[in-house]
Amino acid sequence: MDPVLTSHIREPNGHTLEAYLRRGGYSGLRKALSLPPGEVIEMVKASGLRGRGGAGFPTGMKWQFVPKDSPKPKYLCCNADESEPGTFKDHVLMERNPHLLLEGCAIGCHAIGAKVAYIYIRGEFYHVQRVLEAAIEEARAAGFLGRDILGSGFDCEIYVHRGAGAYEAGEESALLESLEGKRAQPRIRPPFPAVVGLYGCPTAINNVETLCNVPLILTHGPEWFASLGPEKNGGPKLYCISGHVEKPGVYEASMHVTLRELIYGYAGGIRGGRALKAVITGGSSTPVILPGQIDAQASFDGLLKAGSMLGSAAIIVMDDTTCMVWLAENLLHFYRHESCGKCTPCREGTDWLLKILHRIEAGDGSMRDIDLLLSVSRNIGGKTLCPFGDAAIAPVVSTIQHFRHEYEAHVREGRCTCPAEWREMGNRGPGARA
Amino acid sequence: MDTVTLTIDGRSITVAKGTTVLQAAIEHGIQIPYYCYHPALGIDGSCRVCLVKIEKMPKLQTACSTLCADGMVVDTQSPEVVEARAGVFEFLLINHPLDCPVCDKGGECPLQDYSYTFGPDASRMDFPRRTFDGEGAGADVDFGPTLLINRNRCILCSRCVRFMRDIDGDPQIGIEDRGNGSHIVTFQDKGVHSILSGNLMDVCPVGALLARDYRFKSRPWDNPIAVDTVCTLCAKGCSITAWLRAKPEWAKGPRLARVTPRYNPQVNDYWMCDIGRFEYHFTESDRRLRRPLRRTDDGVLQPEGWRGVLARLREEFEAADTPGERRTIAFLASAHASIEELVVLGQIARALNGEGAERQVGVSWRVSEKPQPAGTKFKVPRVDAPNVAGAIDLGVGAPPLEDGGPDLSALKAQVEAGRVDVLYVLDPGPAGSIGDLSWVIEARAQGRIRLLVVQGVLMTDLAAAADLVLPGATYLEKDACYTNEQGIVQAASRAIAPPGDAMEDWQILVNVGAALGAGVAWASTAEIRADVAAAMPDRPGYADLPRLAFAKPAIARTWLQTSNPSERWKWDALFKDLPPVKFKGKAETSPRRDLDD
Ligand SMILES: Cc1cc2nc3c(=O)[nH]c(=O)nc-3n(C[C@H](O)[C@H](O)[C@H](O)COP(=O)(O)O)c2cc1C
Ligand code: SF4
Ligand code: SF4
Ligand code: FES
Repeated sequence: MDPVLTSHIREPNGHTLEAYLRRGGYSGLRKALSLPPGEVIEMVKASGLRGRGGAGFPTGMKWQFVPKDSPKPKYLCCNADESEPGTFKDHVLMERNPHLLLEGCAIGCHAIGAKVAYIYIRGEFYHVQRVLEAAIEEARAAGFLGRDILGSGFDCEIYVHRGAGAYEAGEESALLESLEGKRAQPRIRPPFPAVVGLYGCPTAINNVETLCNVPLILTHGPEWFASLGPEKNGGPKLYCISGHVEKPGVYEASMHVTLRELIYGYAGGIRGGRALKAVITGGSSTPVILPGQIDAQASFDGLLKAGSMLGSAAIIVMDDTTCMVWLAENLLHFYRHESCGKCTPCREGTDWLLKILHRIEAGDGSMRDIDLLLSVSRNIGGKTLCPFGDAAIAPVVSTIQHFRHEYEAHVREGRCTCPAEWREMGNRGPGARA
Repeated sequence: MDTVTLTIDGRSITVAKGTTVLQAAIEHGIQIPYYCYHPALGIDGSCRVCLVKIEKMPKLQTACSTLCADGMVVDTQSPEVVEARAGVFEFLLINHPLDCPVCDKGGECPLQDYSYTFGPDASRMDFPRRTFDGEGAGADVDFGPTLLINRNRCILCSRCVRFMRDIDGDPQIGIEDRGNGSHIVTFQDKGVHSILSGNLMDVCPVGALLARDYRFKSRPWDNPIAVDTVCTLCAKGCSITAWLRAKPEWAKGPRLARVTPRYNPQVNDYWMCDIGRFEYHFTESDRRLRRPLRRTDDGVLQPEGWRGVLARLREEFEAADTPGERRTIAFLASAHASIEELVVLGQIARALNGEGAERQVGVSWRVSEKPQPAGTKFKVPRVDAPNVAGAIDLGVGAPPLEDGGPDLSALKAQVEAGRVDVLYVLDPGPAGSIGDLSWVIEARAQGRIRLLVVQGVLMTDLAAAADLVLPGATYLEKDACYTNEQGIVQAASRAIAPPGDAMEDWQILVNVGAALGAGVAWASTAEIRADVAAAMPDRPGYADLPRLAFAKPAIARTWLQTSNPSERWKWDALFKDLPPVKFKGKAETSPRRDLDD
């Protein structure tokens, strides 16, 4: 499949409105504005577009849940928090193809009856904020945003809101709280944001990549979009490949692609020709899988079948120098640090897990610690207020499931049995490149 | 009313539509633990201890946030629920200091009680505990003028945050940091400054928020006697419970341990203000009047028997310049005087000064501004007296001025003109609550008043200027009724006895009436109330006076039981010593002490 989302990202000044218009930009918006909102939603439904933020929920359906007859204003929120470890696709789109996102936002607003969209970007994305705001200015000046867009009578404004740098702010209800100026802590659901969202008004929340696909659907039609991938997994997909591969990076492919093709084809294979040990398929919140499963299709349904998830399509590749206890410890360090602290199991449990993992990795653990890890994980999983808890335990549970012997070796030998030298490189981690 | 019928633990239960599973369980005595939910503070869904199994739902659900639906099948006892709940309780305690022996909440702590009932037998945590400000009671740190906070004990239920935001109206409390480092703070560590601060200690389900006033003062099991009564320190009249120590004979110190608010949806909900909560201490003040006093010829106030002071009063009153004539007498009552007391006083005034004289009785009170946030849900009135409305309804005294203050102009004019020989003041409230009476002291000093009689409870400046002092009883020492600012007639009950020779005020007044020949002949306050009821048959509050019940001291094991009806079920159940719902998997919970095996 030829790239459609990222085809021009290497072009100098490819992010400008001029370049975007040259590529046929904003024709999707023009098309959408010629249709009643219901029909736009029908098109998105027919395309089979599924959310790229992690859960893979059908976007058309999400938009349909926004009540049409509510007297309150409606909002579209673009989730650009992109904080899942291993994920770095959204900022490429925003930086290199910002008008695609703006067009997607405007179409989304038209579809759900909103006049305002907020792009909530991760706290660290200063430079992205600047690019987006410049693009918004361009689009307003050219009449693609603002009042009476393209003479259709439709008004739409887009605002960029930079968060304060919290992973949890990417959770949709925490994102809304943060947008409202509160602590980024999730809300209890129901009510769902589609009904009671931003400032208590109906709100649709979509990932950056999700919204970037919307103009394509309008321009090329839902059938074309669906035909790009396997059934129910249509459209182009961005994969973030990192870890022990020769060529880490963002790659665009159809979801027909397998993990093997992504790792050994697109990313050039394992660094230094070493052996593959394990793969995280969809960001740190998804379970690790073994080399035996990499012929699975890298689609929502394909990876589910392989025992993991497509998640944010962050593929983290690990070669045989990677200690799985260290991996779990490393990720739990992240989750413990990022837990918002609102609910008991996650607040208390992530800290406890990290302490136990640290003890095992340092060689001071006992066999019981391994069962304790599983038991504590079980006490977190499914018991928390938001899915963060389930995400946090995934690395622990899946590494023990597949590599229990490695944990046991740590305990038996009283030391880390796989102390790869690259770990001395500090937090830059494996495969870090300039 | 629309209802839904669901099944909880095999019991079919019908509740109003919109009820949550947790509320339904509470109403029907089914045990589901909870911390972050509070009936007045809404649903937060954060503590996770209320997890239950709901048929057809893949995951366990929080009962506090799940609405009851027709045909819903809820299980609170299935092994899955029991285990999950035990897991949450284990989490709540892994960093908890477990310093119950030095914690004020120990003995009436929902964390203790629920953990015993629903938690695992032992913790598997063997790492050092998280601490914030120190260890043990040393971690009790400043949290404003009335409170201390112990962050080690906090379970981050956020009730305190929500109380300040939703009830007080000024969100002074917040949470700083995140995750495992989350802790409760006030802006710039300024502490909580609110007239409602004491309620934070009540809503806190653990011993994290402590009132300086009650800290280390008592253990709950040492004050097991409770009297349901009404606070009289302002015009609101909050329902409260007075707590008495079961003190052994040899023990010193006051008998009253504390007062706490009692749920009353009509008046105060679950709350009371800090004035009522902390300033009841005047009743146990060193300056309490314990014996009648009489000013001797050398000008000193000396103790005297009741018989003696009453005789003296009669002498002074009757020793007119012209034999057979009486001196003029005027009356001034604080609006802390109860309905019964005002009735007797009015009757005496009428008997001595003629029909309609009850309206010439001065009724006085203090008005003080209490700055509160504009959006507060609990407004503390400006009037610092419980019975202004009662005095108006009884026709005693003049109506209040426009600013809410008392109108004493007539009495003042009389005194200034030297037309009052004897001034009889009734002042059973805390010092100053009767308002500024410096003009009376002045008039006595300059001889415009010949005899000043003060019936009161404290050696105030006014009492110190009096010629006769009659020791009365405070609101906690007598059964009496008051009409609050909403016009609700309420009964305040006797929790303790008046000190020394002090007497209940209605009784003193009856005796004074007899001594002055005013012919008041009530033998009990019940008779007085019956007369008021008969006189006001078309005022329901008053017509029902004879049916108002006064509380007697009762055994109450915890304030929750008497204060918050939604907590009450829990205590009823817990104290029955039901076999607790315990965590079954023994191996799972055995403490892990050995590091190698
Ligand atoms: C802890 C947590 C973090 C998340 N972070 C992100 C994020 O950074 N970006 C994102 O698009 N979605 C994130 N999500 C998913 C969002 O909650 C939400 O499902 C998504 O934005 C919906 O968009 P979509 O339907 O377009 O996928 C996160 C979810 C959780 C539970
Ligand atoms: S699981 Fe709980 S503590 Fe963790 S991020 Fe979600 S709400 Fe916050
Ligand atoms: S201080 Fe008390 S009320 Fe406030 S969050 Fe902590 S436990 Fe809850
Ligand atoms: S009471 Fe339900 S989550 Fe706290």
